[in-house]
Amino acid sequence: MIVLVTLLSMAMTIGAYSLSKVVGKRYPSPFTTPVFFSTAFIIILLMTFGLTFEDYTLAKEIMTFLLGPATVALAVPLYKNRQIIKKHSGPALVGIVLGTMSTIIGAILLIKLFSLSNEILASISVKSVTVPVAVEISNIIGGDPALTAAFVVATGILGTMLGPSLMNIAKIDHPLSRGLALGTISHGQGTAQAATEGELQGAVAGVAMGLAAIFTSIAAPILVPFFI
Amino acid sequence: MKKFVIIILQLCLLWFLNELGYFLVEALNLPLPGNVLGMVILFGLLMTGVVSLKWVEEASSFLIKHLAFFFIPIAVGLMNFGPLFFQNGIFLVIVIIGSAAVGIYVTGLVSQVLAEKKEGASDDRSRDTA
Repeated sequence: MIVLVTLLSMAMTIGAYSLSKVVGKRYPSPFTTPVFFSTAFIIILLMTFGLTFEDYTLAKEIMTFLLGPATVALAVPLYKNRQIIKKHSGPALVGIVLGTMSTIIGAILLIKLFSLSNEILASISVKSVTVPVAVEISNIIGGDPALTAAFVVATGILGTMLGPSLMNIAKIDHPLSRGLALGTISHGQGTAQAATEGELQGAVAGVAMGLAAIFTSIAAPILVPFFI
Repeated sequence: MKKFVIIILQLCLLWFLNELGYFLVEALNLPLPGNVLGMVILFGLLMTGVVSLKWVEEASSFLIKHLAFFFIPIAVGLMNFGPLFFQNGIFLVIVIIGSAAVGIYVTGLVSQVLAEKKEGASDDRSRDTA
């Protein structure tokens, strides 16, 4: 039974992803970005069949096996574009640090505005860094690991859906800046989106994701206690 | 067929570097994810010429092209947070979108303004910003 469900889950995921590619090409919109479209599609299907996320877990483990190696692979575009990235290392670093600070503080202030709990505050403050690091930092500052992981994933989806349009509105068109913004705010998913815009964008997004993780792990434990 | 074998071999190398990254992060207690350290290691190996671009290029471009795919199974996990979402989901979505927008604008605008200033100063390459 588990084998059947897992095979079905994998077929469903690959099918949804392929479909999102076709639909996204024909009707480009935030709702047809691969992760949002496919995830919504799969959740609806699972619920229709009366399945839970636990039934899907084995398929998830198998399919995400290559996520680590895929992140390592980002060194290739980074290497190919090293001259241009080196040239802009100053602006890039300032952008990543200020962007990380502003998204942490922005999230904290909005949580305060809606007077949500301190546990949510701590969990959501680290939403812009990749899951393994976010969970670690969240533990230190009093957040909940599962909640943190959910906020990180939601930030990846929403930032990737809306980021490109937001940047178009503000005329942020420098490939370096587009990659940096997506990687800093929406970690791996943002990097995946940036990579579809171009090789340079993908490369800097990968770097931004890493640096944002390091910087957040230093900044969040200092900043967050002031607001709790 | 030959291309397939090459991609598999290259994947093995990337997988090994990923494992090495996780091992070092654990051993040295570093504040970054193992896969990102793996990326740094591969970059170092490419820079020093220990690893040639040809050894990893095919598999890398394949994985990066489909990077978004790997986040789909993880995102499906959000279905476990249905109750929380129905309780105060709209506030949480506003917080996430609002803070992400602030971060995207600050990162994007700051780096763009600084980069253009530098480009203007270092050479006369004019970029169409319209």
